[in-house]
Amino acid sequence: MTFKIGDALPTFVIESVSPEAMKDWAVFLADPNPIHLDVEVVRAKGLGDKVINQGPANVAYIMNMLMAAFPGAQIEAMESRFLDNVYAGDRLIASGAVTAIEGRRVSCDISLTANGERPVISGIATVFTV
Amino acid sequence: MNEQDLPPPPQVAGVSLDGEHMFVISADENAALCRSTGAAPADDGAAHPIYYYIATQVAMGKTVAGLCATCEFDVEDGPMMGSSGVKFAAPLKVGQPYKVSGEILSLVRKRSRKLGVMDVLTYRLRLHEAASGAAMLETENVWVLPRKDLA
Repeated sequence: MTFKIGDALPTFVIESVSPEAMKDWAVFLADPNPIHLDVEVVRAKGLGDKVINQGPANVAYIMNMLMAAFPGAQIEAMESRFLDNVYAGDRLIASGAVTAIEGRRVSCDISLTANGERPVISGIATVFTV
Repeated sequence: MNEQDLPPPPQVAGVSLDGEHMFVISADENAALCRSTGAAPADDGAAHPIYYYIATQVAMGKTVAGLCATCEFDVEDGPMMGSSGVKFAAPLKVGQPYKVSGEILSLVRKRSRKLGVMDVLTYRLRLHEAASGAAMLETENVWVLPRKDLA
């Protein structure tokens, strides 16, 4: 697929964030923070009533969107700003738009939105396309 | 208390985060991680690029709790990710031994309307191919450490 400046990238959708996957990510990250594992801890901290997804997992969804939009490309750089929490059961949409093209290098604005209304990550990325 | 009246944060800029242990991305774990994010693992030996964060966090010279403790912050008080940036020099591979080097860049005390007093921790990590020492990536992360004791 060929893009031009201003084009939106195909979205990547997570229909429902899985609390079971958070248990796996606690192992991947070697970080057993209970806000990802125990809803009672989340409640006790006043952070809501569902377990909270790990931030790097949210970044991974955006990376999936980029890798699907540019098959075979390498992500060269990425900056993610964390704006809000993602909770178990949230529906996520990772999206992006092309902001610059220099040869095989494509720059994009990127974002992750929860439940169609709540921005949880915004940022920029550069991919080197094949 | 005004921002300038707050006690200074611990002086931690320059603290080494060099790791002592190798990190190897196993093919099985990479496949499980890819599936957990709704993607299929690559069939060419490439690891999911989110291992930039995982590998550097797991193999840096301090645990998450230890990094917080260096900043005189109890990990139980809930560090929050502010931002994360990465620049890749090469894609990451499964089965490849990597090592981590890095350092704390700054710890800045601020007052925010939402969080009260907070310390903003910035640190930089590099992931090196163990055999050659070549840096595969550099990442800079910002964490927010809410200082409830100073609110």
